[in-house]
Amino acid sequence: MKRRQFLTAASSMLLPVMVDGFGVKSLAKNSALVQSLMKTTALNSDRIVVIIYLSGGNDGLNTVIPLEYYSEYMGLRSNIAIPENRVLGLSGNIETGFHPAMTGMQALYNEGKLAIVHAVSYPNPNQSHVRSSDIWMTGVDANQVSSSGWAGRYLNDRFAGYPQNYPNGEMEDPLAVQIGYVGTTTLLGNNQSMGITLSNPDSFYQLIGTQTPNQSDLPCCDAGDLISYVREQQLLAVGYASEIKNAASAGNNLATYPAASAGNELAEQLKIVARLIHGGLKSKIYYVELGGFDTHAGQVGTNNTEGLHAQLLKKLSDGIAAFQNDLKLQGTEDKVIGMTFSDFGRRANSNASKGTDHGVGAPMFVFGTGVKRQVIGTNPNLVSGLLPVNPQSWETSRDIKMQIDFRRVYSDILNDWFGTVPSKTNQLLFRNFNTTSLFSDTVQTISSGAWANPEIWSNGRIPTVAEKIIVNAGHVIDVGQNINAKTLEVNGELRFLGDFNVNITG
Amino acid sequence: MAYLDTYTTSLTASTAAHLLRRATFGPTNQEIVDFTGKTATQAVDLLISNATFRASPPPPVEMDETRADKGQQFLTKPFYGDRTYDYFLFIRYWWIGLMTEQNGHPSVLEKLTAFWQNHFVVTHSSTGDYRFTDRYLRFVRDNAMSNFRTLVIGITKDPGMLVFQNGNENSKESPNENYGRELQELFTVGQKDFAGNANYTEDDVKAAARVLTGWQVNNLWVEGSTSFGSVFNPSRHDTDNKSFSAKYNNTTITGRSGASAGDTELADLTTMLLNHPQTPRHICRKLYRWYINPNVTQEIEDNVIIPLANFFASSGNNYAIVPVLKKLLTSDIFFDSNNFGGIVKSPAEFMVGMLRHFDLPVPDLTSEYTAFRKMMEFQEWAMSKMQLRFLDQPLVFGSVPYYQTGFSKNWINGTTLGLRGQHTDAMVYPWLELKPGYMLGLDFLKWIRQIQPNFSDVAGTEAVTCDVVFAELSKNLFAIEPTQSQKNFLIDTIMMRNIPRTSWKFELNAYRTSPNNADAQNPVLWRCQALMKYMLRMAEYQVF
Repeated sequence: MKRRQFLTAASSMLLPVMVDGFGVKSLAKNSALVQSLMKTTALNSDRIVVIIYLSGGNDGLNTVIPLEYYSEYMGLRSNIAIPENRVLGLSGNIETGFHPAMTGMQALYNEGKLAIVHAVSYPNPNQSHVRSSDIWMTGVDANQVSSSGWAGRYLNDRFAGYPQNYPNGEMEDPLAVQIGYVGTTTLLGNNQSMGITLSNPDSFYQLIGTQTPNQSDLPCCDAGDLISYVREQQLLAVGYASEIKNAASAGNNLATYPAASAGNELAEQLKIVARLIHGGLKSKIYYVELGGFDTHAGQVGTNNTEGLHAQLLKKLSDGIAAFQNDLKLQGTEDKVIGMTFSDFGRRANSNASKGTDHGVGAPMFVFGTGVKRQVIGTNPNLVSGLLPVNPQSWETSRDIKMQIDFRRVYSDILNDWFGTVPSKTNQLLFRNFNTTSLFSDTVQTISSGAWANPEIWSNGRIPTVAEKIIVNAGHVIDVGQNINAKTLEVNGELRFLGDFNVNITG
Repeated sequence: MAYLDTYTTSLTASTAAHLLRRATFGPTNQEIVDFTGKTATQAVDLLISNATFRASPPPPVEMDETRADKGQQFLTKPFYGDRTYDYFLFIRYWWIGLMTEQNGHPSVLEKLTAFWQNHFVVTHSSTGDYRFTDRYLRFVRDNAMSNFRTLVIGITKDPGMLVFQNGNENSKESPNENYGRELQELFTVGQKDFAGNANYTEDDVKAAARVLTGWQVNNLWVEGSTSFGSVFNPSRHDTDNKSFSAKYNNTTITGRSGASAGDTELADLTTMLLNHPQTPRHICRKLYRWYINPNVTQEIEDNVIIPLANFFASSGNNYAIVPVLKKLLTSDIFFDSNNFGGIVKSPAEFMVGMLRHFDLPVPDLTSEYTAFRKMMEFQEWAMSKMQLRFLDQPLVFGSVPYYQTGFSKNWINGTTLGLRGQHTDAMVYPWLELKPGYMLGLDFLKWIRQIQPNFSDVAGTEAVTCDVVFAELSKNLFAIEPTQSQKNFLIDTIMMRNIPRTSWKFELNAYRTSPNNADAQNPVLWRCQALMKYMLRMAEYQVF
């Protein structure tokens, strides 16, 4: 490598301070948006996504409980099963309920601000934490690898020339903000992370000067003094420190978050995110995480509604509920959506240690006023929908079959939420993925097949009378029943198998 | 406390590592093992005697493999102006290579040479002539362990110094006081004593300049010249007597004439300077800051600096350097645990120390000059950008963090932290290929195969825990052992990402079972990378 090339390569990896002797390029100019807080237009350009990573692999069946298969559920996992009468009911959705710790998310669901995407995974699932989370973060097939993350590629494309030509008039703030110790692959662009990272909530409050650093782990004497000094400099070296400080001082938390004594680290992170959003930080993506979901043993306590998993779900639910309420009070609710993801789901059956082992499908949550429908896919069919389909006697471990490829959700976020041109989205995700109609009031066919087969519909459900329906060109739909719909647009073909009628309610 | 008393406890891994970190640019793990169990005296004696192994290393060569004269020596050829900057870099690489190499004989030589290089500063930029820089470096390196008097006399006549500090232009008709001042202010007595009193007067500067009149250099930057050096020109020399102030006991240096006048008066001047009581203190204080702690308190001044200075200047020692160095490096105060981690690593301690810690071999300069150049280019570029420019410092004062308030803290700011992180990341995610089969950086999978006993015997030999792997990867990495809670954080949060530690064994066994399968390799690799990347970016890694 020639000197000059190395210099260029090295500079591009430095974010966002530029090499200039001891000098540091000043990034102190005030963000225009911070100064004009009044502007909260609902244009796509203002839209934000908050990604919540549940590290370890969340147990979906004890999170979203398929009440319609309760006895099978009990049969698969009696030692950890949530009692039926303790499951939280969901308005207009009698077949499904939430873990009793999830009162906050239950309320959000009932307000129409939270969607469940059932049984999300990808073909040929991998059950290694590292590999599977990598697949989720990079957005690739199980047999592919990518050195960039799905959100990083989006930002890399949307904000060409970052970081050399930034901040600029179009983007004065960090493209993405992560709170976490280890930079996430999700935000990796083609050459470097597209985001800036705050190690933990403490480092945020230290950065904005409202908290003094913890000195308890410092050695004595000069070494302690030097380490403390270096940490201070590390904090100041966080990219876009001045923009973050400005946004933090312009923004406020208006909702009540769980008390610090609750030890809800997710809520603490989301609280910072809400404050920065309110303060006008233009960052497109925030990335936070909650660890501890790898519940191989002891996921419930003496009582099945308590224990490790209940604590985690309470943190998740309380955190999201407080965050969403904060956005509502701030008036920023309409420009933010959130999504959760995890390494993988866990087995349908529990193990003998009151835990669950690595599995396949699990629900994702998408929340915010932007969601247009609340259920994508159906409850995992615990009668006939487990893998292996026909288990041998020794195959006691059963997995939840995938219904929705996670990249369909990514694709909807990129297309419908961020307004990316579909051909560009396909490029970012390496190919086309069918919509889930998560952000659309119209459902559409994604393949030919029987009308009554949920799998042919974009939202993974048989359309109801309230739906606007499109039968896409090239799809032949066999109709064996009367059709009731709000609207019906047929670009493909309806093949009636008998004397059935179409009733459009308008 | 017994400050300068000899530390008598046998060295542990921790104290051996401390000695090696300070006396050299950083130890390999093997060197720490080799030095553990020795007494401080045995250890320092070895570090001193080992200097002979590299007393006369092979000279630098043309390292640009695209040139016809690649691999050939250039210092034995006529001056070649077109290549002067490249040759200067090759000289720098040559020296950094000596600092970095792991030849099994760790020695005080290069670190001490670097001390004198930062003390008697000559910058390459002032001459632009690579031969001058080479001669200067060889002079301080050859005499680093000799006698301070030899150094003062020799550096005063060094052709590079004569150009840099304008001794070259100093004549009886038009005296140039530059060197006469720096010789006192920086090189010998120091500007002020510890209490803040001036150590010399302005008239002393003028008098010293007059003593030094007449020295000149020849063939600076003369294309095709085959020799160069310093000469004394008696006709430019001021032959009058030179009188000094009470600071020097009103010494008068008798004016001489003739060819030997320059040397004779310089010897007198040096004697006067070395008789000044502040000279040994100035040097010993600087050595203390270099080797032990930049923070010199009154207590340290009284109990360490002054007694050490008295010894340095004593008639028995007469300014010999090695005995002072030995006394310092074997002292109780050197091994006082409060001084562990008490200095921020300079870019050299950071970069050279990292490559030595990870035992990354230096290609042979003579036979593998391309690979050698690539490695040294990486190092030299990093150090320069991190504000350490060997042989071309910003000022005659040396590098800022060795004298400015805050001392070693001055190495650290947002830019340099970014650069430091970028270069440690380069070890974790290797990208620089020095030669086929040698990527500069860490091979974690190989490391894991070494840590795991009976690697392939999955059924018969239990997988090592992540705690064991953490202990190996973090061994000797920090000057101060991390606390248990820090270790737990590093294992649970960074390495295991909050999944149970037991998962590591499954992942490791998957790798042991299918060592060539990328999906099986990656979890193990990824966790080691995440851990090492984080540790090398910790504030704790920045101090030594």
